Amino acid sequence: MTQSDPAFDAFLTISSVLTGYSPAELQGTGCAPEYWHQFQQVLSEEVRESFLAGAAKLGCNDPDAVVRDHFLSDKCHGPIARALIQLWYLGQWAPLPQDWTDAYGASRFDTARILSSRAYKEGLVWDAIGAHPMGAKQQGFGAWAMKPPAGRAGS
Amino acid sequence: MSTDVFEEDRFYDVVIVGAGIAGGIVAKELAAAGQTVLILEAGADHGETWQTYRSYLDQYYMSMAKTPNSPYPNLPTLPSPSVLDITAVRGTQPDTNGYFVQKGPLPFGSNYLRAYGGTMLHWLGTSLRMMPADFEMQTRFGKGVDWPISYQDLRPYYERAEWEIGVSADVKEQTPQALGINPTQPEDNEGYFAKDYEYPMHPIPSSYVDGFFAKADDMPINIGHDDGPVHLKVSNTPQGRNSTPRRPKEKDGTFPVGNEARAPFVPRGATGAFAFMGQRCEGNSSCIPICPIQAKYNAMKTLGDAIHLGKDRLRKLTQAVVSKVEVGEDGKVCGIIYKKYPFPGVAQFDLRRVRARQYVLAGGAVENVTLALASNLCRSSGELGRNLMDHPYMMCWGAAPEPVGAFRGPGSTSSYANFRDGNFRGRKGAFRLEIGNWGWNFAAGSPNADVARLVEQDNLYGTALRGKLYHDVQRQVRLGVLVEQLPRASNRVTIDPAYRTPMGDFRPVIAYDLDDYSRAGLAAARDVCKQIFQRLGVKDHTAYDPNSAGYFTYNGKGYTFWGAGHLVGTHRMGTSRDTSVTNSVSQTWDHENLWMVGCGSMPTIATSNPTLTLAALAFRAADALKAALNQEAVA
Repeated sequence: MTQSDPAFDAFLTISSVLTGYSPAELQGTGCAPEYWHQFQQVLSEEVRESFLAGAAKLGCNDPDAVVRDHFLSDKCHGPIARALIQLWYLGQWAPLPQDWTDAYGASRFDTARILSSRAYKEGLVWDAIGAHPMGAKQQGFGAWAMKPPAGRAGS
Repeated sequence: MSTDVFEEDRFYDVVIVGAGIAGGIVAKELAAAGQTVLILEAGADHGETWQTYRSYLDQYYMSMAKTPNSPYPNLPTLPSPSVLDITAVRGTQPDTNGYFVQKGPLPFGSNYLRAYGGTMLHWLGTSLRMMPADFEMQTRFGKGVDWPISYQDLRPYYERAEWEIGVSADVKEQTPQALGINPTQPEDNEGYFAKDYEYPMHPIPSSYVDGFFAKADDMPINIGHDDGPVHLKVSNTPQGRNSTPRRPKEKDGTFPVGNEARAPFVPRGATGAFAFMGQRCEGNSSCIPICPIQAKYNAMKTLGDAIHLGKDRLRKLTQAVVSKVEVGEDGKVCGIIYKKYPFPGVAQFDLRRVRARQYVLAGGAVENVTLALASNLCRSSGELGRNLMDHPYMMCWGAAPEPVGAFRGPGSTSSYANFRDGNFRGRKGAFRLEIGNWGWNFAAGSPNADVARLVEQDNLYGTALRGKLYHDVQRQVRLGVLVEQLPRASNRVTIDPAYRTPMGDFRPVIAYDLDDYSRAGLAAARDVCKQIFQRLGVKDHTAYDPNSAGYFTYNGKGYTFWGAGHLVGTHRMGTSRDTSVTNSVSQTWDHENLWMVGCGSMPTIATSNPTLTLAALAFRAADALKAALNQEAVA
């Protein structure tokens, strides 16, 4: 994996659209290489390529239609997309459903687990809810008494 | 493995079983008085150094279910009860899923931790004194039993306990009157605190969530008080976590604490080499199960003091499971047998015997009892192991009409204390409503459950997902109900040779139920929560699943309760050897040189989280122990 790997770039582009965080924000978590590794370990090359092919279509006028059509409602890509969103938000892999693994192949890496302590702390959910990961990135004495931050644009 | 018992050649003034807060306080007091002390701890001492405490933290990050015991070791040979093991008890067969053998009819939902530092490692930090009425339940309400001591007897020991733990609060905000309680006797408002007494540190700031709930302050609520409604009030909770130490008002620069003058409080940070960390709370929002910087008190701090004070007079031995207390023909304890295991998790050990003048059991309300029963101790009252109590814990949760900033700060910084006393206690249990700062974390697995729901069911992604998460989770509010439970002979810890650990020690066998007194209190509390939600425009999301382990009904309505981790009452103190296990200083009636210290000593549980009271009782026991040792020396 390097920055110039087109497959990794496609992975990041798709991750950005699915999570609502920019590729730079996703890179900023430091977790992208780890999640890319998990993605490669769980999915066969064939499935991976067909999933990542969606990245090229996202530049069109109606990216929402692409996401709904190529990713979320697709029998093969839908469960992967949903697992990927949860991976970025929680640092935790949500195993693919059994009818999916029956059709597209099982992997011994497809188990429910938090990938690493970094993955837990970098879960996007904590930023999204205007808080901080429980047990890390503490906000300082008395910060809890202050007005919570406003949601970001689009919230 | 040899069955021969190795005789220790060193003879101690005192042997203490259990390295938690009770054992730590007794050890520290005795070490300061020049006595020789041995502390035996069944668990290992993983958390004592910073490096290994960090490993607890990593285990927390990596745990899928971040339960109270999740960061800590759970050896197959030395199991701790886990909240994940709680299931409904059905039919006549006991539930043996976990460490506890549960006979029901309801499962006992609380846990504790068998490790160096004890359950203080994952307590919340709530440090409440009891109310004066709590010591006279029988006299005032015809319920339960009276304590052998009064609130005023315990008051100086509460002061010492607050200064040992390091409690942050303001006396002006903590009197029954300031809390908005209608006490059952007007004089309860007098002298709740000694004149000029101050908590060692200023209060922990109340959360933004607390401020939202305070909008309902002054709302009149009637739950059947004979003396009219109470007026709701959100009050800051005294907490065992570091804030800013107080400066003295006295000219001599001291504070009056427990009838002596003390220097200003110096906060203690993390144990080990990183003591500069944790001198003030930084808002890690993970007090249960672990404070990453140890700004929250844990018993390793007191134990560290004891070791420092005791020098070579104090010895701490971990990986030592006490399995028998031996009694001589004179009824006095003459030795303790323990299993010293070299490898954590491996059921291989040497048997050793150690002797001392005085013996202290400080392993918690359940472990003290299993050991005493296994050793055939304290049988004359028939009360040993009975009267097990907890705070049945029920939650009510909802969505506020505006963002309230959930998931920031200590787990709880305030509560509604209004219902901690009142004439209604003749009919239903008193309770405290704790305001949660972590949204629906305990109630519904937030925020993980919200992510899963919005992705898997609502089919959201991208900025819409991010925005909906903010919208939903920012509005999450949760109240926790802690109701009192009366002592019942049938709520009981026993042992059974059929159920043992891999080391051969007895597993606790527990029978447990909620009586109508507690159920009525919970039902009343549920109605109060509804009224508060109605007043504040909170959309009620509370749901009690009939399939949950702690589901029960009262007057045709269903509720779910959980354990609060407040294990109380199994070796209660009293005025007579016929009705209690120990006297008022925790010395057992049956064995002059055996003391049982901890929450098990409490005759009733009332509405306060029991740690502060247990600490006060430990100081009281330590004073009596010192006197007993001195008397012996003179004789």
